[in-house]
Amino acid sequence: MTPGPSLQHDPKYLDTQSPAPGVANLFRVEDVLNLARAHSLWPLTFGLACCAIELMAGGASRFDLDRFGFGVFRPSPRQADLMIVAGTISRKMVPCIKTLYDQMPAPKYVIALGGCATAGGPFKYPGQYGILEGIDKIIPVNVYVPGCPPRPEALIAGILELQKQIKSGNAKGVMSPAAVDDAQDARPAEYKNAMSRAEHRKLLLTPPTPAPAAPTQG
Amino acid sequence: MPLAETQEFLEKDPKKFGVGSEAVVSPDRIAEVARDYRKQNYFLECLTAVDFAECFEVVYHFNRWGASERTCVKILVPKDVNQAPSLASIYKSADWFEREIYDMFGIIFAGHPDLKRILLPESAEIFPLLKSFKGEPKGADVVQSLKLIEEDARGFGARLQGAGLEEAPTGDYYLNLGPQHPSTHGVLRVLLHLDGERVLSGEPIIGYSHRHHEKMMEIQNYLACWPNFGRMDYVGAMSYNFGYALLVEKAMGIRPSPRVEHIRVLTTELNRITSHLLWMGTFLLDLGAFTPFFYCFDDREQILDILEMATGERLTYDYFRFGGLDRDVPPELVPATKAFIPGFKKRLKDYHGLVTKNVIFEKRTRGLGVLTKDQALSYGVTGPALRACGVRADLRRDEPYSIYPALDFDIPTAKDGDVYSRYLVRMKEIEESLKIVSQILDKIPAGEIKTKTPKNVPRGEYYSAVEAARGVFSLYLVSDGSLNPYRLKARTPSFSNLSAIVEMLPGCLVSDVVAVLGSLDIVLPEIDR
Repeated sequence: MTPGPSLQHDPKYLDTQSPAPGVANLFRVEDVLNLARAHSLWPLTFGLACCAIELMAGGASRFDLDRFGFGVFRPSPRQADLMIVAGTISRKMVPCIKTLYDQMPAPKYVIALGGCATAGGPFKYPGQYGILEGIDKIIPVNVYVPGCPPRPEALIAGILELQKQIKSGNAKGVMSPAAVDDAQDARPAEYKNAMSRAEHRKLLLTPPTPAPAAPTQG
Repeated sequence: MPLAETQEFLEKDPKKFGVGSEAVVSPDRIAEVARDYRKQNYFLECLTAVDFAECFEVVYHFNRWGASERTCVKILVPKDVNQAPSLASIYKSADWFEREIYDMFGIIFAGHPDLKRILLPESAEIFPLLKSFKGEPKGADVVQSLKLIEEDARGFGARLQGAGLEEAPTGDYYLNLGPQHPSTHGVLRVLLHLDGERVLSGEPIIGYSHRHHEKMMEIQNYLACWPNFGRMDYVGAMSYNFGYALLVEKAMGIRPSPRVEHIRVLTTELNRITSHLLWMGTFLLDLGAFTPFFYCFDDREQILDILEMATGERLTYDYFRFGGLDRDVPPELVPATKAFIPGFKKRLKDYHGLVTKNVIFEKRTRGLGVLTKDQALSYGVTGPALRACGVRADLRRDEPYSIYPALDFDIPTAKDGDVYSRYLVRMKEIEESLKIVSQILDKIPAGEIKTKTPKNVPRGEYYSAVEAARGVFSLYLVSDGSLNPYRLKARTPSFSNLSAIVEMLPGCLVSDVVAVLGSLDIVLPEIDR
């Protein structure tokens, strides 16, 4: 009896070759477990902003995440192994997200859904004070899904990509390479200074001089 | 006190400025003025501040239900005094507004019951909307996030905020609902004080989705602000587009063509239906009914298809432009909408049969979370939550804008002010919106979809308000004539609506809390901005 090809450690084997040749096939336990993990992802019911609506749409009729076996949304992090970070991460929310991630049992996976969770999205501007620019700065991320918000199809593509990662035994996730002490000053010039109220009122109440009409296409 | 005798008084054209008059009173008389307005059944619609070089201007907008009669009253707070009297004892809505001003500008409100940060973390050291705040250095987000995580580990963020822990009856305890909870519709935290299963009091804690819209809009030009309005209330983004378009068009003195007006109302009303459908699905999901969620999303997806034809987007619409639209609607939009309506009408009948007349649903929601008219006035509640108290107030009728005066539609009301009434009002609103849509479909005139616009918004102070899916959405703009706003305050409906929940929660069971929360139809990023 020839040993199963998985001994040569081909991660795609389990997915592609079925039924396998030979009377009995040998696999690494880890590969079999990963196959099971990839096809029974339980996401955490967790939404932060706009993307959460598309996440809901993904789970609802028409897109129906259940088709792929990952529609079992769990409200408790202790029962979930997939965190879909859907939305803008305000700094006030950061400790809660970190706690939720820590409460999830390993092995666990993270999908950054949308621009905000990936890198700050539209709310990133020089000198911003409210958000964290990308969830990968505090927890490791497996898959980034671009979009503002991404369509449910993009979410599905993201989860399928994650499945591939898990099956290949290579789903560690990455943290942002951005160094924490990257503290160079990068303030933009557009910040306005306070104007004088008295002058504002004066200009406001004097009848406007007829400005040269130069209409532009808006 | 007659306002005309105050320091500065201006009659204004409401069509252009959104307010009928504007007065500056001395800070020690503002309480007197507010009491006067309260007696005449005005509510405090908006309260904000503007940072000038020599002083702060604290701006109050009072309005009344029915035909709008908006007045703007201002007080000047010198920078070295930095203190203004609190109106929290007169208007309950002032409580949160003043906390927000304190949070953003650092102005102290004397006599406020509990002046603390509302949107930023408690340990924040900045007052971001001050003009002297020039942004944080690069990388500060990570540094501050790590600091907050560490503080949280030490129990800083979890500190109980109820004061009467010692003298409360025995057997009571505190429970945090949220910020991560499947039924809070986002990242809301409610600190519940419970006696067994019974709620003694509940305090909403917000700010977990604060996205610095207002500071951001000060440093980008008017055109670049559009995406912010698509994302403030992403469920009903079209109304927010409408509000911003009206504001700038008023200020520039331009009017869009009839074609644009018709398409705007059509898309806004379709968006209102999707908003209500999303609310209905999630609200019933909170109550334990799983199936309606799938039905509602099925209908919603069909409307999203129609809106996608027009806008190219599914959710965060940035469709309007000043004096026009981003692009014209394709010819197949009208037939697609016509094809959608009959099936949806049939579906509505199903909803009424399955939910409205459902005994379990009725028993669960009738008499729950009651809001009285007087409380609604005091908290500045607007939208369906107000109409469920029996008040016929809707800006589409009271302060008509666009082509709404020419359209035939009703303003549904209910009389009990409870969760069931709020459900009924929204269900009837879906029907009314559908009525508006069917009226417009055959009447969209041909015409240009873009208008020539001036480059700048002229110097001045402008106010505009629209009826969004959740209530009155209004904007207050201070323009210095340059390319970007000097100050742009967004008054969002759920902010005031949610503050009223402290009156509805006492006496509920824990399971009813989610029903009350759901019935208010809150969208957290709109509250936190």
